[in-house]
Amino acid sequence: MDSNKKYWKGLEELQQTPAFVEKSKGEFSESIPVEDVLSEAGLSTRTPRRDFLKALGFGLGAVTLAACERTPAHKAIPYLIKPEEITPGVPNFYASSFKGQSVLVRTREGRPILLEANPSAVGLNCGTDASAQASILDLYDTSKLKAPKFKGADISWDELDTHVVTALDAAKAAGKQIRIVSSTINSPSTIAAIARFTEKYPTARLVEVEAVSYSGILKANQNSFGKSVVPYYRFDNADVIVSVAADFLGTWLSGEEHTQQYISNRDYKSLQKGKMSRHIQFEGGMSLTGTNADVRVAIKPSEEGPLLIALYNAITGSNLPGALSSNQKAQTALKLVAQELQQARGRAVVVAGSNEVAIQTLTNAINVALQSYGSTIDLDNPSYQYKGDDEAFASFLAEANRGDVDVAFFWESNPLYNYPNQEAVKAALSKIKFKLSFSDREDETASELDAIAPNHNFLESWGDAHPRGGYYTIVQPTINPVYNTRQVEHSLLLWAGEKTDYYTFVKNNWEQQLLVGSSKTWKDVLQTGFEYKGDQPATTYSFDFSTLGAVANTLASHSKALAKDVEVQLYQSIALKDGKQGNNAYLHELPDPVSKVTWDNYAALNPKFAESLGLGENSLVEVADDSGYKVTLPVLMQPGQAMGTVSIALGYGRTKVGKAGNNVGKNAYPFVKLVNGTLQFNTTAKLTKASGNYELAQTQTHHTIEGRNIIRETSFAKYKENPGHNAGSWTDSHKTYDLWNKYEQPGHKWVMAIDLNACTGCGSCIVACNVENNIPVVGRDEVRRRREMHWMRIDRYYAIEQGGESFTEEDEIRHLDDMENVSVVHQPMMCQHCEHAPCETVCPVLATVHSSEGLNHMAYNRCFGTRYCANNCPYKVRRFNWFNYWNDSRFDNYLNNEFTQLVLNPDVVSRSRGVMEKCSMCIQRIQAGKLKAKIEKRTLKDGDIKLACSSACSANAIIFGDANDPNSEVSKALKNERVYYVLEEINVQPGIGYMTKVRNTYEA
Amino acid sequence: MSSHNESILREPLITGKDITYAKITDDILLPVENKPNRAWWIGFILAALGALLWVFSVGYTFWTGIGAWGLNKTVGWAWDITDFVWWVGIGHAGTLISAVLLIFRQNWRNSINRSAEAMTIFAVICAATYVVAHMGRPWLAYWIFPLPNQFGSLWVNFNSPLVWDAFAISTYFTVSLVFWYCGLLPDIASVRDRAAGLKRRIYSIMSFGWNGSVKTWQRFEIVSLILAGISTPLVLSVHTIVSMDFATSVIPGWHTTIFPPYFVAGAIFSGFAMVQTLLLVMRKVMNFENYITMFHIESMNKIIMATGSIVGIAYLTELFIAWYSGSEYEMYAFANRIAGPYWWAYWTMMTCNVISPQLFWFKKIRTSIPISWVLSIVVNIGMWFERFVIIVTSLHRDYLPSSWAMFYPTWTDVGVFVGSVGLFFTMFLLFIRFLPGIAIAEVKLLLKSASLQQKSKLIKEGHLDKGQVEFFTNSLTKFDSVTEEEIKELETK
Repeated sequence: MDSNKKYWKGLEELQQTPAFVEKSKGEFSESIPVEDVLSEAGLSTRTPRRDFLKALGFGLGAVTLAACERTPAHKAIPYLIKPEEITPGVPNFYASSFKGQSVLVRTREGRPILLEANPSAVGLNCGTDASAQASILDLYDTSKLKAPKFKGADISWDELDTHVVTALDAAKAAGKQIRIVSSTINSPSTIAAIARFTEKYPTARLVEVEAVSYSGILKANQNSFGKSVVPYYRFDNADVIVSVAADFLGTWLSGEEHTQQYISNRDYKSLQKGKMSRHIQFEGGMSLTGTNADVRVAIKPSEEGPLLIALYNAITGSNLPGALSSNQKAQTALKLVAQELQQARGRAVVVAGSNEVAIQTLTNAINVALQSYGSTIDLDNPSYQYKGDDEAFASFLAEANRGDVDVAFFWESNPLYNYPNQEAVKAALSKIKFKLSFSDREDETASELDAIAPNHNFLESWGDAHPRGGYYTIVQPTINPVYNTRQVEHSLLLWAGEKTDYYTFVKNNWEQQLLVGSSKTWKDVLQTGFEYKGDQPATTYSFDFSTLGAVANTLASHSKALAKDVEVQLYQSIALKDGKQGNNAYLHELPDPVSKVTWDNYAALNPKFAESLGLGENSLVEVADDSGYKVTLPVLMQPGQAMGTVSIALGYGRTKVGKAGNNVGKNAYPFVKLVNGTLQFNTTAKLTKASGNYELAQTQTHHTIEGRNIIRETSFAKYKENPGHNAGSWTDSHKTYDLWNKYEQPGHKWVMAIDLNACTGCGSCIVACNVENNIPVVGRDEVRRRREMHWMRIDRYYAIEQGGESFTEEDEIRHLDDMENVSVVHQPMMCQHCEHAPCETVCPVLATVHSSEGLNHMAYNRCFGTRYCANNCPYKVRRFNWFNYWNDSRFDNYLNNEFTQLVLNPDVVSRSRGVMEKCSMCIQRIQAGKLKAKIEKRTLKDGDIKLACSSACSANAIIFGDANDPNSEVSKALKNERVYYVLEEINVQPGIGYMTKVRNTYEA
Repeated sequence: MSSHNESILREPLITGKDITYAKITDDILLPVENKPNRAWWIGFILAALGALLWVFSVGYTFWTGIGAWGLNKTVGWAWDITDFVWWVGIGHAGTLISAVLLIFRQNWRNSINRSAEAMTIFAVICAATYVVAHMGRPWLAYWIFPLPNQFGSLWVNFNSPLVWDAFAISTYFTVSLVFWYCGLLPDIASVRDRAAGLKRRIYSIMSFGWNGSVKTWQRFEIVSLILAGISTPLVLSVHTIVSMDFATSVIPGWHTTIFPPYFVAGAIFSGFAMVQTLLLVMRKVMNFENYITMFHIESMNKIIMATGSIVGIAYLTELFIAWYSGSEYEMYAFANRIAGPYWWAYWTMMTCNVISPQLFWFKKIRTSIPISWVLSIVVNIGMWFERFVIIVTSLHRDYLPSSWAMFYPTWTDVGVFVGSVGLFFTMFLLFIRFLPGIAIAEVKLLLKSASLQQKSKLIKEGHLDKGQVEFFTNSLTKFDSVTEEEIKELETK
């Protein structure tokens, strides 16, 4: 509707005064003096219009130029043609295997970033230990060779091939020997490839050698049963386990697999059924297995033989000479143990860690007497993980010394580092005309040889493995070769004149050999990752007990020789094992499960023994054996270590492994002795105090619980009377008051249950967490300053037993005179995601807040680093970024390097300096799981989401899930009577329940 | 500040011969109007070197990260917060002297309030540097304030004592600064009136146009009283809130309700000790002996003794409550303080804070200038250790023994602390060089001429006890504050 109203703006307009009419003609009420400006001041001033324009032009130009500086943009280029199987942001999983452990490799945008145990390999799942978890970093190791080398110079593969083939042909023509010196090869395809190579060069032969070998077991089984194999142990069938210095949960044979078996009779599920095995450990040094034993008795290495003789006598009633006469404690324990073993005939196993044939033969005799074969020990489906033969390598050296060998290839073999007699190796090598290493780096041996043909990492390779009878796994590449390397099998085939590539070779080998008679196809195997052909039925084994007299004599003389000076026990550390992964920063920073030492090996001594030698904390000691080799090592006070013994880890002291691992610790391999054809890891040496001090980098420096109830323990007998013994909820007996509002958590409530009886303390969860969450490795000095960044740790506490009492307070322990009897507990500790989190209330900027799903969130971007939250955390699980670890050359471990950064998980941001971080309960995995369920339009199922730590735990000690789902595994576990919450009485309401530690001890 | 009826038993607050208003102005402005002497230069160079060390240490920390300090995963605060609380504590005496003593009409404060307030401001500045420096990402320090922002309108956490702290410290600093500056106005005007040239122009601007009219003085008095009223609660609140940084946490040794009064007493204790340390030197070097007299020294020593005793009782109460609580963590925390690895820190604290101030029960010690000076430093050493004991020994062994750790300072820790002392003295020395170190206008109120007339009148009226009159006349000679004639004049009457 049109309006004919007219609004007037003033009385002048209304009245239309003449002045108004006059003014309203112009646009402006007063005229603008344009003319004046133009005619007078404007153009005639000293800065006329042109100058103004010049200035304007210059200014604009300058600003434009200044703005032209390129900002440091990192170009992200999307896939032009997207590979079908890769969706950015979505991980792909490939089945593969690491040393026969069937694994899934998680890849993102073509980069492998994490290994996980293959969950579908139920019953055969070997799990992933710390070294498997950490091996992902080896792929991106910048210390590796980037191309083949000949006489120290880079060379092309073609040229190298010419050199090699010339040498091979020359050897063949001269009728000289060709040797492939390798660590154990159980891959059927590799064996076939070597056979193919041998066809062309008939003098070629494979020499399998292990730095830490199981020759003793192989030979003993050859002698006893005519089968030179390492048996497959079934700890899950054993009710009574006696181990004499065998670290079977850690480094002995297949620790992860044994852990699964062992825990199946000890975890909460087994306990609920009223069943728990008993484990007795006799050993000198404190091993991971020893810390988990129900009864642990410290014995010297020289007492291992006499102890087994005594055990044999007690079980069979025979009277072999040389039975244990010293060590009253061990003798007392032995009587009980023998009784128990006899009662558990057929459900018992005795294992010995020694590599001495006599000890292993006697152990076989005991196991035969206990009817273990066919139940707890399986000789028909043996383990093929360790076939290294010490004698074979010795005869290779002899052969070479005679000048019979013209060509030698070294594969996964580094004798110039880990063979005890370096001089013999050097002498032998000098006689060989052409020496080549397949090492991926210029290691101690490779750098001394003629040529290096660097091998692929296993994540770049095709292959397979046959870790035990009837069980085959596949190795498939998950990335294109990172450097100009070539797979060994490919090289061998090429040199043998075979034109097929190794992928086709493996495929053909499977299709023509392994899959014959199976319904599976090659594709099926690639998907599942393994092929299980079923077990061979058990056969019976007889044992000729009459040979034992000679065995006992050998044992007696060995025992006497060992007892000469201080007895030395050489062992493999959980992290570095034999030292092959010596450049792996994750492993160097993984605290030893027992000593909590990182970045070093050391001389572990009983505190009382150290005192008697005048040694203390931070002292240095010189260890010298009669061959003249000596090393100076820092002293570690190790409660539980047998008096008069010292334990030293092998695998350290590498000099040419790479940036992270060079000169970390000291090499103890030269102490190893070759006796009667097997390498002996027990020896004898002189200890003298060395001058100077050395501080070991330990992540835990206080070792007892000071009588606090943070660890709750009970015995199996008491557990059977009352499953909730010593657990109990504080809130049952106390009234609690709450200052805080109660919030509903209607959706999910993420919690964990941790079974202290299942956790062995191995630390594979720590490495898994590091890899998953991009946790910085900070190095030795920073660990000394107590600044390691691990989001989760495993607290290890000692209680010293004396006179039937258990002491946990430092002040009391100081006055004890016996530090051999120690009971140990491992407690995984990470953010407890408290409902009433003390960290949340004190953060001034709300950088850490609670989620409606019960998680304690950490918003890195909001944190400005007052560290108040860390101070106020009763569990001390928060970690502060003291430095800019990803951009600080002092921390060149992996985060700082542009190339090694490829290992980072893109789902987790790397944190800047000055920011707090801590366990997020793998929130990225929770989110991914929820999203996946949402996309699939279903509700989340229990088990859809697995955390890095819990999926790495072979023992299932960490159970994660939704407490709002009454049927979830975690809800059920938390209803267990054994559950308690750490520091419950301060009412922070932690979200992680712990289950009491139950020990199946002898009741006095 | 106005003079009031005063007992004739009071000793005069200003001593010296022929003190006139003009002489007071001359005396006090002597360092401001002349070239500094050698003592000042030596002190200033040392202090400036310290300040440089501070710049370097803090710069290095900012450049590399907090890892430059000796902190670790268990001990997240150590020297940084120890120094922070120490400086805030020292800053307490100024407000107490200027505000609380003003309200209580303690005129003797007039001679020391200016320096004490300056000291407060500089101490709070030093403390504030730690608030920023201890942060992991100091460039984001402004996040502590609830400013409107573009981060999805993120607010601060009003539950956090650190937020309260930021408010408390900034309020305290602002109020102290305003109070101090208002007090300075008439004195700056005096400097202005006596200066020439550029100096005159600068002081003229700084004097905010003070003209000395009655109205100005009246407003000055009112503003002073109002600010005193505002500041008085701050004396209690600031350190109460600082103590809540610890008291509201769950850490044994921190989680204590006694902390607020205990911290306030400790703060006044250390603040007076610092005033004592500074003024004993200043009165000597700058010839202020007539204005800062033995009476002042003794009064401050008495306050130190009283607050030191309160602090001692607090320590003993803590021990008793730890035992009485029956909580094993609490008991261990205190057993660990007494006999743990940091026992030496605890016993240093006990000796310096509890035993040493008790010496002031003896008048000889209380009135001995060298001993007072030494003890004032001992007290501040003790107070530093008190904060160290509370912070480090509580943190280093808390609930889970697996995380127990030791704290070892690095050179940066030491550099930042020593440097902050240098910074403090640099600012203080600049202050006494450019601004009057004693409140000229206020001190003039204490001049004998003001009270003498009134006292003479009382004596003349003849109602007073003879002994008291004798004391007064003796004191006139003793303190040499009046002329012979004046004494004679009194005697004849």
